[in-house]
Amino acid sequence: MELKKILVAVNGNGADEEAIKLACSVARKSKAAVYVVYIIQVKRSLPLDAEISSEIQRAEEVLTHAEDIASEQDYDVETDLLQAREVGPAIVDEAMERDIDLIVLGMPYKRAFGMFSLGTTVPYVLREAPCRVLLCREPIS
Amino acid sequence: MYIIVIGGGIVGYPLCRALLSEGHEVLVIEKDAKRCDYLEDNLGSVCIRGDGCEAATLEEAGTARADIFVATTTRDEDNLMACQVAKYKFKVAQTIALVNDPVNEELFRKLGVDYTVSVVTHLLEPIKEEIPTGSLTHLLSLRDEGMEVVEVRIPQDSKAVKKPVRELALPPDCILALVIRKEQKPQVPTLDTVLEAGDRVIALTRGEDEAALRDVFIGS
Repeated sequence: MELKKILVAVNGNGADEEAIKLACSVARKSKAAVYVVYIIQVKRSLPLDAEISSEIQRAEEVLTHAEDIASEQDYDVETDLLQAREVGPAIVDEAMERDIDLIVLGMPYKRAFGMFSLGTTVPYVLREAPCRVLLCREPIS
Repeated sequence: MYIIVIGGGIVGYPLCRALLSEGHEVLVIEKDAKRCDYLEDNLGSVCIRGDGCEAATLEEAGTARADIFVATTTRDEDNLMACQVAKYKFKVAQTIALVNDPVNEELFRKLGVDYTVSVVTHLLEPIKEEIPTGSLTHLLSLRDEGMEVVEVRIPQDSKAVKKPVRELALPPDCILALVIRKEQKPQVPTLDTVLEAGDRVIALTRGEDEAALRDVFIGS
């Protein structure tokens, strides 16, 4: 499996670091480009291109941290900040637009109402992404 | 433009598809979960599940910044309620409602819905046009002016046949805009224009004068 482009979606949770390290490690073998994206989910009450400064600031911090993690791995990544109504469709759209070969998602170990939960974004990406998807769940703490 | 559509059914779904293809920002509010899935599969992430009559749902939908609000469900009471909440709570500039029973059209207008569309009324017009039932065909409603643009086909036994326009007892404010005669160019009638059986006359009249206009051309 030769990979040329890898997309990592981050959102500032604890699983981001492992996902970026994993993406860098996989990318290194084929010298693939790694794109790290943060998606700001914009409420319908605001226009899609609304500038939500608090969200933008947080996104920039997360992306800077992602770059730092990649640097520690001695790998260059490209970062991007997107705004969308829904995170899942935004990841899939971005993957299609960039002709991505692999999407890497990190997810925390989440429980909802006492049951393990994948949330809504991960199932959507697994269902709709045109390329391979690598899901990295953080260990149960 | 940001357009909110209530109901993603047989009217709402193709309406959204058409609006999206024109580049508008569109959101559908649909009650039924399966229908929501269908809309998401076919139109993308443009649907939220909820009741379009509820203020909380409309708040989530960002109704306050909507340019146009369209209610297309199969229940007139829902369409009316949704449009009223959008109009009076969220101050949407333009509300449009599908009216399933044309009897309700007047009520919708009185209660502030800006534009109503009745499928039954639209279906009736071409039927009236094709079948000589002796009524006027409504072409356009100028609601702000209280005027209607109507078409009337002059029957053989009309008392207007062979008479010039000046001799017709037209209602006040009635304007004859066009006379369309078979195999001839449409003409703007003058006071001397003599009408013939089979002529189609396009007229502008007040709503309350329609019966009088009908009487002039068709008879009571």
